[in-house]
Amino acid sequence: MKQSFVFSGSGGQGIMSAGITLAHTAIDMGKHSTFLPEYGPEQRGGSAKCTVIISDGEIISPLPKKCDILVAMNEQAYSKFIDDVKAGGTVVVNSSRVKDTDRQDVKTISVPVDDVALELGNVKVANTVLIGVLIGATEIISREAVIASLGEKFKEKSPKIMELNVAALEKGIEFGSKA
Amino acid sequence: MPSYKRPSALLPMSTGYCPGCLHALATRLVADVVDELNQQKNAINVISVGCSALNLYSWSGDEIGAAHGRAPAVATGIKRCLPDRLVFTYQGDGDLAAIGLAEIMSAANRGENFTVIFANNQTYGMTGGQMAPTTLIGQKSTTTPFGRDAATTGYPLKMCELISVLEAPVFVARYALNSPKGVMDAKKGIKKAFELQLAGKGFTFIELLTNCPTNWGMSPLDTLDYMNTNTIPYFVPGVYKDKEGEK
Amino acid sequence: MEKRFMKGCEAIAEAAVRGGCRFFAGYPITPQNEIPEYLSKRLPEVGGAFVQGESEVASINMVYGAAATGTRALTSSSGPGISLKAEGISYLASAQLPAVIVNISRGGPGLGSIQPAQSDYLQATKALGHGGFRAMVFAPATLQEAVDLTYNAWEYAERDRGPVLILMDGCLGAIMEEVELPEMKELNYDNTEDWCLARVNGREDSHMITPILPELALEMLNKFKGMTYKMWEMADVKVEEYLLDDAEYVVVAYGIAARVAKEAINTLREQGHKVGMIRPITLYPFPKASLDNLDYEKVKAIIDIEMTIPAQMRDDIELQVKGRCPVHEYGRSGGILLDDDGVLEAIENIVKGGA
Repeated sequence: MKQSFVFSGSGGQGIMSAGITLAHTAIDMGKHSTFLPEYGPEQRGGSAKCTVIISDGEIISPLPKKCDILVAMNEQAYSKFIDDVKAGGTVVVNSSRVKDTDRQDVKTISVPVDDVALELGNVKVANTVLIGVLIGATEIISREAVIASLGEKFKEKSPKIMELNVAALEKGIEFGSKA
Repeated sequence: MPSYKRPSALLPMSTGYCPGCLHALATRLVADVVDELNQQKNAINVISVGCSALNLYSWSGDEIGAAHGRAPAVATGIKRCLPDRLVFTYQGDGDLAAIGLAEIMSAANRGENFTVIFANNQTYGMTGGQMAPTTLIGQKSTTTPFGRDAATTGYPLKMCELISVLEAPVFVARYALNSPKGVMDAKKGIKKAFELQLAGKGFTFIELLTNCPTNWGMSPLDTLDYMNTNTIPYFVPGVYKDKEGEK
Repeated sequence: MEKRFMKGCEAIAEAAVRGGCRFFAGYPITPQNEIPEYLSKRLPEVGGAFVQGESEVASINMVYGAAATGTRALTSSSGPGISLKAEGISYLASAQLPAVIVNISRGGPGLGSIQPAQSDYLQATKALGHGGFRAMVFAPATLQEAVDLTYNAWEYAERDRGPVLILMDGCLGAIMEEVELPEMKELNYDNTEDWCLARVNGREDSHMITPILPELALEMLNKFKGMTYKMWEMADVKVEEYLLDDAEYVVVAYGIAARVAKEAINTLREQGHKVGMIRPITLYPFPKASLDNLDYEKVKAIIDIEMTIPAQMRDDIELQVKGRCPVHEYGRSGGILLDDDGVLEAIENIVKGGA
């Protein structure tokens, strides 16, 4: 089993952080993973994209042309990368920002990620909502492993941050499972 | 009684400098001070490109040749790894004030704990007397055959003045080697700089005004007079910064 | 052995420290900034020194100074910065000082693109500086290989007393993979060899390190180095030969390109096509024998795959193929990455076209 993910959006949306969390969690679960970021030259607000591969076996090439799962956090990202999803693949769109989805041969999961995160109290947890969606919609990583991985990531922050992220994760799982 | 013996920091050989060249005297002053401070085995001489490179063969202790202008960078690498050694660069004006301007200013600004000996003879001696960044206005060189013209080449760079406005350097001074007093003062200045370095105080910079009889096209004695009338009024000798002395 | 999920630049920085590196000087340039950033924190922890130079030129000369003291010294940069370091690298070669240089390469020429590319093969293998010297060039394909090669790079640099280059592209610098980190090497600096300025105060002999030599001495050095390079070809070539025994088509690729090519080769093998690969790990010394010894009764074509246009390794390949079969090339450049589909299609076109 080998799956490739592309996370895309703009700088500051937590794209890289989401990708690293996913890859890290997969490694913790005993799988192989690679994470490859692509940045624009801007420090803030430019385009951001990363590719994560998760596999039971050794990963040879980290540069797939097409991905199994695309996460698009804004319109630009959606239109730029939608053609790179394999037929039969999955697209998770941030419906707070992406209004029109047009590919019929992929499964589209629309989640108002920004709104959900804002409701929870901080737009910064949008990327954790996303991870939750991926847990709910695919079986590649487990809820427990992500929580452990987040615990490691936020171990030096206040417990409130961890609580907020767990809530975001649960909310995402809810959306993902329904899809 | 003053000693006229060869300092042990120098090998028993001729320096290779032209007759009447004050580089030889500058080298000797540095060697004398190394001897007086008993640093022959502790000193590391970072030698630059140009006539100053002739020192490679006459220096008796540890030494390393650096690329043109890069001696302060090389000295930085050495001193950071061997903080207890007495490290100094010996550089000419083309090396230090043109191609190596970034390296000297940055090393000085970082406050690297080594000493720079800067021999300023207002010419590129080894390559045949081209205009240096320190060549005086009106002074002839093989690339300013009608004399240096400020309109197209700007003005001679005053390195002591430039370095003295930086925060980090602890001792910055200029001496002219064309008089016995200048020579005695220069030796004291070099000694003070080395002592400050050995005490871990920081960056020290000694500029020595020298001559180039060959490329100036003058007899050695005439160069000394020329320095009095032309060089010294522009490159005024003196202590430009003495952080410890001010305390 | 300690396993960590690490970013390429940080993995080689840590491997350098564990391999004995105690001095780093460098200047910011994308995509290698994580190396100096990591080392600015890590080196002081182990008693080493970190300096952010005022330029690449200054940084390589700081490394030259540090290397002269017997300290294991490192600098890193990317294409445009390596060009600036060329002067200092040449001086390291002439003064016979060991140092390791990392190039995390990007699209070129000129300022080029900050995105990954394999555009510096010729610079790395033919002319890393003026004067006609060579440096051993390691080109890892995975982070584990990058860690292992970096960890041992100073052993080669000190054995042969000269610069060693580690050439990676921006993908490998930025990618995160799991790596096993080796133990910290225990080095005894007090017994430093007589080629360096003494580390111990009061050493009786003095030493001159010079990048300028009298003519006869310089020619002797050049002859000696010529012999050293021949020795590398006999003893130090590192290469991966993949499924060559029955291969009718042989891909030659290094670094990230080799990983993409291997994926394509596996797919083609499943379809019954006899495709294999030669992956140089040392770009210099180049694995000449691997190419020269192919069975050209069987091999129908060689395909040079590089993330640069035009292909730069091709001349080295053709010198060994000696016209015994056609040589094709495929690449992307300017910061546009190779990808699985593109490489598969390129190889497929040649294999199925029967070229």
